[in-house]
Amino acid sequence: MLVLDDVTRRFNEKTAVAGVSLSIPSGSFVGVIGRSGAGKSTLLRMVNRLVDPTSGAIRFGDVDVTKLQGKALRDWRARCAMIFQQFNLVGRLDVLTNVMLGRLNHRPTAYSLVKSFTDRERAMAISALERLGIAEVALQRAGTLSGGQQQRVAIARAILQEPEIILADEPIASLDPRNAQVVMRSLQALNRNDGITVVTNLHTLDTAREYCSRVIAMANGRVVFDGAPEALTEPVVREIYGVEADDASFSERATSTSLGFGLNPSPAFAVS
Amino acid sequence: MSRTTEPALSPKGLELDRRWRALAAQRRLYTILILLGVGGALVASLRYANETNAGDFFERLPHFFDFTSWLIPRDWNDVWRALFDVATPSADGTEATNYPLGRVYLFGDVYLPEYFELMLVTLNIALVSTLVGVLGGVSLCFLAARNTMTNAWMRGFARRVAEIMRAFPEIVIAGFFAAILSIGPIAAIFAVGIHTIGALGKLFYEVVENIDMGANEGLSAVGANWFEKVRFGTLPLILPNLVSYSLLRLEINVRASTIIGAVGGGGIGQELKLAISRGFGAKTLALVLILFVTIVIVDNLSAHLRRRLVGEQAFGL
Repeated sequence: MLVLDDVTRRFNEKTAVAGVSLSIPSGSFVGVIGRSGAGKSTLLRMVNRLVDPTSGAIRFGDVDVTKLQGKALRDWRARCAMIFQQFNLVGRLDVLTNVMLGRLNHRPTAYSLVKSFTDRERAMAISALERLGIAEVALQRAGTLSGGQQQRVAIARAILQEPEIILADEPIASLDPRNAQVVMRSLQALNRNDGITVVTNLHTLDTAREYCSRVIAMANGRVVFDGAPEALTEPVVREIYGVEADDASFSERATSTSLGFGLNPSPAFAVS
Repeated sequence: MSRTTEPALSPKGLELDRRWRALAAQRRLYTILILLGVGGALVASLRYANETNAGDFFERLPHFFDFTSWLIPRDWNDVWRALFDVATPSADGTEATNYPLGRVYLFGDVYLPEYFELMLVTLNIALVSTLVGVLGGVSLCFLAARNTMTNAWMRGFARRVAEIMRAFPEIVIAGFFAAILSIGPIAAIFAVGIHTIGALGKLFYEVVENIDMGANEGLSAVGANWFEKVRFGTLPLILPNLVSYSLLRLEINVRASTIIGAVGGGGIGQELKLAISRGFGAKTLALVLILFVTIVIVDNLSAHLRRRLVGEQAFGL
């Protein structure tokens, strides 16, 4: 159980996250939605302490995440893997090495620095790549891959961390619909088969509806909705995205990235 | 290391594992060979240098302090007196102890101590030559970079110009210009400036070649010409690096201008060479002191300026 208790983060004058309290049971698949700048990224990055909260507490089981330092903090980060929008791989290293870097926290630094990995770690990396269907690119440089492939390499790296939580910060925002589906299904499989908790920021509602068992909506740093995706009715959505009630041109489909074949052109692009 | 491969791999996975290990072993071999080569070259060069030296390094080391003993003044306060051109009670009528001699009177009794004036002359050389170098380097870099200049002839010409300008050491250029323009700061400015154009031109065009060409493509699509693309698509992107390299070059040029002084470029270097060659202990110490303090101040000032101009975010802070 991941618990956020009145967590606030301020950047100078601006409050990115304002007094958020949440509890996320282990094994859930949670989507966080909201406009750009609503505080989604900051919220996620506070969980693995890439950003430190200004006040409040984050707890996981009996670990007080907000108090961790040094080795204990690095251990915690290994337990909650992060997937980034821009993948953040080491472009000049080959894919297999990138994936094995997920083991760094589990092994002696001296061996890692001379790139000496064990047979077991290589096998883990290869089977992770096979599981994601990209074993054939294992020897290429990560920087030469397409966006969808790079994101799958990033997920493979996360798998090697053997994490309890996966934090995904807009994992499909730079991908085409086909690759977006592959990436979301991979996260879903990790959640269902391996019991890993997934918390992901999403900017498309249809993705949240399709994959998440719970949706949290943020606006101006606060949680404005927290519930099942079915409860996301149009008035609720308009409020989350700050759309005026009489603005008829707003449609959820305008942001859709699903492969909805036979979808009519969105009213937002209709020529008047 | 255990040989058990768990989790069990498919035949394709095992093949992949074998190929990766072969690749990794090959890379490791190259790394080790390169490291051995570099290490061997370092040891060989040091040994060769020691053999070709007149005396053996370790034999001569204890004589280090014999050589510097003349530097120790009769009275340590003479260092301050020499620095600020104040008369000393231990004056013996020679130039070595006649400190007020070099005073530069501004008006009435107010004077600028000689070494401060000479330091200003040297700083001026560094400043002017850096400005000349930055202007020249910026003009050259867009012509020399592969991504902004597609014409290979123009690019080659710009690169050769930069190469020739930085090929000759400042001291050689200074000697040449001192013969034509007579001894003094003008020759020094030419020497340091020309070298700086060549050096910064190379650094700048490498920065230009490293930029993301997205903005340039955007401007091409707008219908911009070459000058407009350089001005709006390239210059804003390289500006932080330009500032960094220019300030670094200013620091280097302060030292270069000092050395140039010793071969007839005027300024504090010339005075330092005189003081050392004639064995003026207190004066030499005063000169070394003012040089040291100035260089520390210039380095810190430029670091501060760089932060202010480039912004903290460029340093990933």
